[in-house]
Amino acid sequence: MKRFLVLLLVIILLAAGWYGYKLYTGKVPSLTEVKADATISATDLIAAFEKDSASANKQYLGKILEVSGTIKSIEQESSTISLGNAGGNSSVRCSLDSAFVKEIDSLNPGSAITIKGNCTGYMPDETGLGLGSDVILNRCVFEKKN
Amino acid sequence: MIRNMKIKFLLVFSLAFFSFLASAQVRYYTKNAKINFFSETPLEDIDASNNSSVSVLDTQSGSLQFSLLVKGFEFKNEEMQEHFNDDYMESDKFPKAEFKGTLINNSSVNYKKPGTYNVQVKGLLTIRGITKEVQSNGTLKVNNDNIKANSTFNIALADYGIKIPSLVKDKIAKTIKITVDAKLDALK
Repeated sequence: MKRFLVLLLVIILLAAGWYGYKLYTGKVPSLTEVKADATISATDLIAAFEKDSASANKQYLGKILEVSGTIKSIEQESSTISLGNAGGNSSVRCSLDSAFVKEIDSLNPGSAITIKGNCTGYMPDETGLGLGSDVILNRCVFEKKN
Repeated sequence: MIRNMKIKFLLVFSLAFFSFLASAQVRYYTKNAKINFFSETPLEDIDASNNSSVSVLDTQSGSLQFSLLVKGFEFKNEEMQEHFNDDYMESDKFPKAEFKGTLINNSSVNYKKPGTYNVQVKGLLTIRGITKEVQSNGTLKVNNDNIKANSTFNIALADYGIKIPSLVKDKIAKTIKITVDAKLDALK
């Protein structure tokens, strides 16, 4: 009985240690390994937030989205790609996963792309300066490049 | 007489032209300001950064604004990121945080002369829907076509109603260090 208790204690300690270790080292996974919660075009995503940001937040906030659209601009310095209509003020701003940053050179504005990213929300343009409203995607990876 | 009028016209025209040029450089902005926070305790250091904060600086009035999406903070550890969003910041309920302030000593910054200037910033910081006044020192590095803004200040979690469960209270500092690093481009 005593031996059993000691064994149980050891198992519990090991399990607790393993759990603690996992907690401590549990890296944020690359989105290449994660299935998207929803697939949507950049223009539809922008329209959803512009129409009703509260309900769009409920639907998309914190979700992994696969977004397809046209590349509006590429910002090397911040590793950010903007998707949307070239004429429009609003964009889906995709901040790239560090593992994909080096591929930014192979992209061209005007070409079509599908990007998977974590939707962190909507930044409406409250400045009145015409900066445009943005839907933000984080940790973005490429799904399809043309 | 005609010559006089010509000179007057030229004078008015050039004044208007130069004031137009000057006004074109009044506002600076970025959509990629970096906001970092750091919690230090003997047991554990926690840091996270947000690289897509929007910032606007009006050099004439000295008004300075930042806004960011709370879910945009990235941690090295997934578990921490979940706790941060779900338990502490309730980022589904309060997706944004923002700062609206002014440079108290804006007049001592010469935006036409490149260089590094010490500034004092005062304003209202809103986190989790709670607004508090904060004041901080920082620097503005004026370059020819951009301005770099840097500042570090501390906030107390209790001020914003962020409760830390007793189980992890030794791992999370009561006062968090916030670092701001922004490169603002002239708004044309």
